[in-house]
Amino acid sequence: MNLRWYHFALWALFILVMALIPELVSKGTLRIIIFANFLAIFAISWDVLSGRTGYISFGHPFLIGIGAYTSAILTKRFDVPIEYAIPAAVLMTMVGGIIVFLPALRIKGSYFALVTLAFMELIYQLVQVVRPDLTGGTRGMSGIETLTRGAVNGYYLSASLMVVVALSMWLLMRTQLGTALSAIGMNEESVRGSGLSTTRLKLFAFLTSAFVAGLGGAFYVHYLGSIAPRALFDINFLFTIIVAALIGGASTIIGPVIGAFFLTFLLEYLRPYLPGAERYFIYGMIALVLYMYEPKGLIQLFSNAWNSLFSRRESAGNQNSDQAGKQSDAL
Amino acid sequence: MAFLELNGVSAFYGKAQALHDVNISVEAGEIVAIVGANGAGKSTLLDSIMGLTKSTGEILIENKSIAGLSCASIVGNGVGYAPERFNLFPYMSVQDNLLVGAYTAREDVKKNLHIVHNLFPRLKERSQQETSTQSGGERQMVSLGRALMSSPRLLLVDEPTIGLAPKVCTEIAQALRRMRDDLGATVLITEQNANFAMTLAQRLYVLESGSVRAQGTVDELRDDSRLTDAYFGH
Repeated sequence: MNLRWYHFALWALFILVMALIPELVSKGTLRIIIFANFLAIFAISWDVLSGRTGYISFGHPFLIGIGAYTSAILTKRFDVPIEYAIPAAVLMTMVGGIIVFLPALRIKGSYFALVTLAFMELIYQLVQVVRPDLTGGTRGMSGIETLTRGAVNGYYLSASLMVVVALSMWLLMRTQLGTALSAIGMNEESVRGSGLSTTRLKLFAFLTSAFVAGLGGAFYVHYLGSIAPRALFDINFLFTIIVAALIGGASTIIGPVIGAFFLTFLLEYLRPYLPGAERYFIYGMIALVLYMYEPKGLIQLFSNAWNSLFSRRESAGNQNSDQAGKQSDAL
Repeated sequence: MAFLELNGVSAFYGKAQALHDVNISVEAGEIVAIVGANGAGKSTLLDSIMGLTKSTGEILIENKSIAGLSCASIVGNGVGYAPERFNLFPYMSVQDNLLVGAYTAREDVKKNLHIVHNLFPRLKERSQQETSTQSGGERQMVSLGRALMSSPRLLLVDEPTIGLAPKVCTEIAQALRRMRDDLGATVLITEQNANFAMTLAQRLYVLESGSVRAQGTVDELRDDSRLTDAYFGH
């Protein structure tokens, strides 16, 4: 797995900072961070599938929606306790993941992306038309049981979930399995030629992605206490997930977390100046500029800074030892 | 008993027939080359053996049919494949590229990695380098190394010298000989470079438009002026 000391140090620092945030920021900012946490979970879910295997999903809200609606319907309409509803929602989302996986057996590239977009549209129409008594139709549902009350509790819930998801996915992607998934994104034929079952690997990626999306969707709905199909299946929500993953650095797991925080705060701080959808134009521009100059995303900028810091220290150390050597030679 | 035997193998791309009743046999411990021009069906032949292209006819390894098996099962049966133009994972390190090849042979990873590093010391020195930044020769080494990581008994190598300098071709030839001599692997290569194939292989098959036009030892084919004129250009 090739773990280094600084991996542990950075994760410990990250967890410490996340734990201290409620002491440092206002409740308003805390609510913004809660959304950033959930966006990070959704972006990680997208990254596990699309960032790794290269199967670009334009229908991720389809999976998130299954998780959110299943848990909401079970708790609100059938009085199922949350602790059973959430696992059931995750399982249902994994079934949804298999449905999305089936086209990936035959198609890829832009065709696959369009099919997944159709899945999102399909579920959007279905929840509005089929059994509105269950789904709440176009108006959605409110009064759904919540897991916590208050910004601080909501923050700790979302942050814990995000950290657990991010850490477990990061560890998983550092295994040989994660390497094989990345290889699919680069050259699927060659992965097959190396004797790996790409079908099984892709199924694993789809199921893992669906697991995370379902988990995130279910927790999200029990944080909000309501669900609105127009917001959940909105194209801007979809693009926010994708751009968060890409702007942060796709195929890295940590990149989507950085991207989610960057985008959430960017959109919130732009709100007073650009209250409408014009804000999305700004982040589109930022994404464009970033891709042109650093296609690997914000995480690469951090990585470059880290490397230059260490190489500078190293070269300074070497210089010192060179000088010491020269001095001892002179003596 | 031949180690690898192809009896009446045909392959199609839609309605176009790429291979016509190809018969080939490779004895254990041999290096055999299939030579032919572009479009002769060399890569299709190797893809058919690997189960990557649908084919008809009989493909046997140690008298056991592998026709219809998935590529994963064929690799599991001891066949390693280094495809044409390396087909690496460009944004992965050399090490990770090799590890993808080791996926089906987890218990031998360290041993196989040692073998690959021993064959190609440069890959050990540059184990963390992205393969997209490597030279053609180094990439070919990674490709061969990746194929070796699954502990193959039969190694299929598609055009190992394509686009490489003569000096690198010599290194590749040495490595392929060592794979046979030291590791006991049987090697089947395809080549356009007839000189390279004749230097390396014990026997040759000449493929043209998907059919075997000639076969024999290097000496037999070297003396065949009609074939050398047609395929080797000298």
